[in-house]
Amino acid sequence: MDEPEGWYAVALGADIEPSTSAGTRLFGHELVVWRDAGGAVHVWEDRCPHRGMRLSFGFVRGDHIACLYHGWRYDTAGQCRFIPAHPDLEVSPMIRTRTYPCRERAGLIWVRWGAPAEEAEPAPVAASPLRSLYLEAPAARLAAALGEAGPDGLVRFDLAGSPVLVAVQPLAGEASAAHIVVPDTPEAPEADLGRLAAACVTLRRSIEGAAP
Amino acid sequence: MSLRLYDYELDENGYKVRLALGALGLACETVGVDMVPGAEQTRPPLIDLNPLGTLPILVDGDTVLREAEAILAYLARRYDSAGTWLPQEPVAFGETLMWLAFATRELHAATLARRAALFDLPGDGPALEGRARAAFRVMEDHITLRGFSGLDWFAGTGPTIADLALFPAFALSRDFGIDHEAYPGLRRWSRRVRGLPGFRTMPGIPDYH
Repeated sequence: MDEPEGWYAVALGADIEPSTSAGTRLFGHELVVWRDAGGAVHVWEDRCPHRGMRLSFGFVRGDHIACLYHGWRYDTAGQCRFIPAHPDLEVSPMIRTRTYPCRERAGLIWVRWGAPAEEAEPAPVAASPLRSLYLEAPAARLAAALGEAGPDGLVRFDLAGSPVLVAVQPLAGEASAAHIVVPDTPEAPEADLGRLAAACVTLRRSIEGAAP
Repeated sequence: MSLRLYDYELDENGYKVRLALGALGLACETVGVDMVPGAEQTRPPLIDLNPLGTLPILVDGDTVLREAEAILAYLARRYDSAGTWLPQEPVAFGETLMWLAFATRELHAATLARRAALFDLPGDGPALEGRARAAFRVMEDHITLRGFSGLDWFAGTGPTIADLALFPAFALSRDFGIDHEAYPGLRRWSRRVRGLPGFRTMPGIPDYH
């Protein structure tokens, strides 16, 4: 799978609550997305260096994430800080996970894939979370149905008569996700979100049903 | 009151009943049954309690009940004096029964997929997994849509036995290879279920998150 470098949305910010983690994929690579108790998000390779267990199965305590298998605890820099079986051990700096640059923008959590970005951070966008749609369709088919993304990674799309912003996440092969937010405008009523969320189901059906 | 539950610890249907016992704060004697590999529930004396040869079985005095969803409904009606776990209000009651039916029918694929994966019991893994994914998607759409109306649970306005009946299949789905990646709404709902007073874990469901 071609892996163009850039920023990719991996979740709605609201779906990763403080002190929780979730597993996801980008181009088939397993990632853990987690938010520490202070609210900062982190996107790492989803692998404990000890036994290869997925860290997304583990748990967040304060500003550490711990592996489900043996409780090895990692700080926000991905450095292992504590090994329960050897509580007095000063953990080697070699024991660390692979971390990726990440940020929150437009109500979405983004990860940088490929070489670190040189460009200036794009202007913030005020938006309300709608939902993440997970589709059994390759990312290319989403792009064909939704349109191409702008330089900030967001597709401007008309969903049932309302403007929404969509970020496509290529999960793996035939699986992809569309993270959808509604730009905040004074005239957009809050109650409209339910109608748009229902329209997402129709959109998913139409994309999955489209000829490859 | 003296409740007795015939149960196998790794069985998610028994787990539904354990969740209800915890939620209702009920004491219960548990009789461990060798379901795998012994299939003890298909032979006397248990076959005389339940001719279907399935678990769980609840005995309450002279009452003998099988089918987890029926047991949940019985426990709620009999012991939940506040009447919230099986709501009286007609719409919430109908919704609760609708999701109980879903738990027994659509989610049965998840039960079979898990048994095939964990216990090497016969079953078409990929087909069952596909049906389980389809069922989880229906749940994900439902709980996500309800969130926009400020509703956090599957039926009515608060937690009901529908939530308890639906929880095990989703919470244990990694046992048969379905990750929670595609279900952010269900992940957040699971967290609410975990936070319910009296919540219990089982093997495969860690007690923290």
